[in-house]
Amino acid sequence: MDVLRCYAASGQLGYGVPKDNFKRGMARHPHYIGADMGSTDVGPVYLGSGKMGPGRLSAKRDLDLLLCAARDLKIPLIIGSAGTAGGKPHLEETVRMVQEVAKERHLHFRMAVIHAEIDKGWVVEQVQKGTVSPCGPVPELTADEVARSTRIVGQMGVEPFRAAMEAGAEVIVAGRACDTSIFAAIPIMKGYDTGLVMHMSKIIECSSICADPGGRDPMMAYLYPDAFILESQHPERRCTALSVAAHSLYEQADPYRFYEPGGMLDLTDARYTEIDGRRAKIWGAKWMPAQKYTIKLEGAAWVGVRCISIGGIVDPVMLSQMDYITEQMTDLAKELLKDEIPPDTYRLDFRVYGKNGVLGPLHPKGQGDPQEAFLMIDVVAETGELAQTICGVTRQHLLHFGYPGRLSTSGNLAFPFTPQEILVGDTYRFNVYHLAEVEDPLSLFPITIVDL
Amino acid sequence: MKLKDIARVIRSKNAGPFVLTLDILMPSIEAFNTVKASGALNVDLISRLYHVPREKIRIIHYVPGLAIKITMPRRVPSGDVADTDVYGAQQHIPLMGIEVS
Repeated sequence: MDVLRCYAASGQLGYGVPKDNFKRGMARHPHYIGADMGSTDVGPVYLGSGKMGPGRLSAKRDLDLLLCAARDLKIPLIIGSAGTAGGKPHLEETVRMVQEVAKERHLHFRMAVIHAEIDKGWVVEQVQKGTVSPCGPVPELTADEVARSTRIVGQMGVEPFRAAMEAGAEVIVAGRACDTSIFAAIPIMKGYDTGLVMHMSKIIECSSICADPGGRDPMMAYLYPDAFILESQHPERRCTALSVAAHSLYEQADPYRFYEPGGMLDLTDARYTEIDGRRAKIWGAKWMPAQKYTIKLEGAAWVGVRCISIGGIVDPVMLSQMDYITEQMTDLAKELLKDEIPPDTYRLDFRVYGKNGVLGPLHPKGQGDPQEAFLMIDVVAETGELAQTICGVTRQHLLHFGYPGRLSTSGNLAFPFTPQEILVGDTYRFNVYHLAEVEDPLSLFPITIVDL
Repeated sequence: MKLKDIARVIRSKNAGPFVLTLDILMPSIEAFNTVKASGALNVDLISRLYHVPREKIRIIHYVPGLAIKITMPRRVPSGDVADTDVYGAQQHIPLMGIEVS
């Protein structure tokens, strides 16, 4: 078996693939291009709302870059977790952009669209059968929680990609996919060692994060029967033995064991060396097939509408009493509004950035009062109108709140602009993060073939 | 000597929306062994610093990356209304001042 050149264009497609470095890798004639377009790292709002993370301009620019390059060499292009969350609206928007690019650039190819949004009725059936389990520290899934979700997606493994390739697809646009499967499908089809392929895919799906210094430039992997070599396409990013080995730590709970649909990747015996000061050579990973094939389900539920108000505080007398002031203000606001808006129907919170806005009670003690703080009034209510009302009332009373020892009696907050209320919008929470046993890895992920 | 004076990298990030993972990367195998031998990074201390029950904390010594990894459930899931750090990227601060020798 010869070398297979596996090209990871991006681990976060849509935010601007570095053009020159991308073309550098294309000049090396990869056998296929893969790109990961989604993640749960960005929070539940994209899954819940159906919106895409990147702006349309940068997303389409990246798709244009990749499509032109792939069609120029007539090599497969695989895009997974389309539109950030990989559900139906995300996939549709991404496919729309691909179709626009094809028309504008006069490109003709067979496209496979792989759907990943899962029928809620099916999920409930599995819950009732007892074949759904928590993925980490989450509660058991219930039928009620399934009903509360806006949508549920499943992370597809390599099998749907393989089926799409076998149907003659030249460009694959897939909904939610396990990051590795985007890059692993073709090499596994061609008979390369699954352990090596999965390890390679796990690293390159983050593009050049595994390099020193790490970054978002495209990554080329040279896959051999007994090892793979990594080469960042940014000339100053080096893949060293240490930088690649350390990458197993990134965003992972356990650097030695990665659970994928259909099995587990064991890195206990993985080995890392360096070649020519820029590239690393890796081997030794083992693939342990699972007894039961499981698909990770992700779902988001609507929680409310968020409105915030922000302002700066520089007065030292006020800054020395922020805990007292925010407690008093919470009581005051709730009391003021209680006849119109019952206090248990909304959430009112204050965050004092500069003091402990990020870490709260974990913030190291004994550091004195800040010289300046940025206050955020955070309201989540059943409607935007309610959230804005609560926020506005709170903000106005805080502006004139008479705390002990106050010298500055004309206004407590420095607003950077008006209006002072900023409607953030619908807010969600991840409410499904579970593993479902499936008999057939293809059954949840229907494929549509479109000839452009 | 504090951890921030000996470590090359001290960072935090989500491992999925419900788990926080902290990585401490050492500049050398000697520094790695010094910190490991000191026992300074133990579940009792982490439990106190992060307000998480002892039994939910996992500490792994990863030699190939010269790293110590600490993993625990997030107190607030990523993106929930009470969340202050969607990516979990700024939760490493409590580790910086730990005395390791």
